Amino acid sequence: MLKAPFDPVQLAIPFFVLAIILEILLGRFGKAKANYETRDTAMSLSMGVGSTVAGLFFGGVIFATTVWVYQHRLFTIPMTAIWAWVAVFLLEDLTYYWFHRLAHERRFWWASHVNHHTSTHYNLSTALRQTWTGGVAGTWLLWLPLSFLGFPPAMVAIQKGISLVYQFWIHTEAIKRMPRWFEAVFNTPSHHRVHHARNARYLDANYAGILIIWDRMFGTFIPEVDEEPCRYGTVKNLGNFNLFHNVFHEWIGIGKDVAGSKSPREALGYMFGPPGWSPDGSRDTSHTLKAKWRARVEAEKPSR
Amino acid sequence: MDKALLLQLGGSVAAVALLVAFAAWLGVARSTPPLDAESAKALLFLEFPEHRPDAVWIAADGAALIAREGAQALVLYRRGDGYVARDLPWSVVAALKPSGGRLKLRLSDARPIFAVETDAWPPKELA
Repeated sequence: MLKAPFDPVQLAIPFFVLAIILEILLGRFGKAKANYETRDTAMSLSMGVGSTVAGLFFGGVIFATTVWVYQHRLFTIPMTAIWAWVAVFLLEDLTYYWFHRLAHERRFWWASHVNHHTSTHYNLSTALRQTWTGGVAGTWLLWLPLSFLGFPPAMVAIQKGISLVYQFWIHTEAIKRMPRWFEAVFNTPSHHRVHHARNARYLDANYAGILIIWDRMFGTFIPEVDEEPCRYGTVKNLGNFNLFHNVFHEWIGIGKDVAGSKSPREALGYMFGPPGWSPDGSRDTSHTLKAKWRARVEAEKPSR
Repeated sequence: MDKALLLQLGGSVAAVALLVAFAAWLGVARSTPPLDAESAKALLFLEFPEHRPDAVWIAADGAALIAREGAQALVLYRRGDGYVARDLPWSVVAALKPSGGRLKLRLSDARPIFAVETDAWPPKELA
C-alpha cells in the first residue's frame, strides 16, 4: 500500500484545539501551570498552519521518492501483521531519534528545526510550532531506509503521524511527572521540558520521539531537576515576534557566514558544524556553554 | 489549489485567530512587573552568568536595562512577557541620542525602545 488511508495528525486536530482550550482554562483558573503570551501563541499556531502549506510544496517529491525506493525494496512486509507494526514503531522511533539529534547538533538541519524551539513558553501550542523548511533540509531522506527494507510507505506515514500526535501532549508544564515506570520508558512532559530548555545544563538532551530509551542508550538523557527549573527558548532568544524572521533567521545567518568565509573549510564548518561554530571559537556552542556551566558549578562548590 | 484545501486552510486560520483571541481574553501571560534593582540583578545573573557588570541602568518604565562591564554593554529588554538579552560594544550604546523620552537602539533583529527620564545620555549610573 502506497498512500495512507488516513492521517493521524489530521484526525487529531480537533483534539489539539480542545486540549489547548483546556490548558488555557486550567492556567487561567490556577489549576495547572500554563502560560500563554498572545503574540507567542499566534506565532506558534501560525507556524502550524504554515507548515501544512509548506509541506504541500515538497509532499509530491517526498512521496514519489519514497514510492521509488519502495519499488526497489529488499523484502515485502505485510501491513496487516502485528509484528510489522511493532517493528515499524521501533524503527521509526529510532529514526526519529537520529533525525532529531542531527537537527540539533548540525547547523544546516538546525536551521529548519530551530523555529520549533524559539518560543519562550512551553505549552501545547508550542507543539504546533512546526518547521516550514524541513523539505529543503532533506531530513525526510532519513526515513527512506524503512521503505527500502520493505515497510509500505503508507505504514511509515501512519507511524510518523502517530509519533507526531504522541509528541503533542508532552509539550506542557501542566503535568509534572508521570508514574516512574512510564518516565523510564516513554518520552514525557518532564523529559521534553528538558529538551526545550535553554539552561546550559539541559542543552542537547532528550531527543526522543515516543521512547526515551534511545536517549538512555545513546547517552543523551538528562533528567529534569527541581532545583533548576527549565527556562525555554533558544540560547539567544529571538529579538522580535516576526513570523518570517522565525522561519528564516538561521538560514540567513548561515548565508551571511558562508558569504564571509575565508576558505571552503570555513564555509563547511559554518554549514555543517554544530550551531554556534566559528573558525576562531569566538562564538558559543552547546559544548562550550556546558563546559562554562560545569566550571561555574565547580567554582561554587565549597572547598573541602 | 482545490476547494477543499482552501476551505481547510480558511478554517485553520479562523481557528488560530479564535484561539489567540481566547488566550488574550483570559490573560494567561506571565506577570512581568517593572524591574527594580534586585530583579535586574537576578535577571542579569541569569542571562549573563559569565559577566560581572560594573553598573546598571534601569529604564524609566522598568521594561529594560543596560549594564556596563568595561567596554561592553549588556542589554536586556522586554519582549512579550519575557526578556531578550544582547551584548554589544559600550561605544555603540554611549553614542545613542535620546529624544522625547525615548532611546532607540538598532540591533540586528530588533529595534528596542528604552524609556528615559531625561535626554541626557549616558545616564549618571553608567557614565
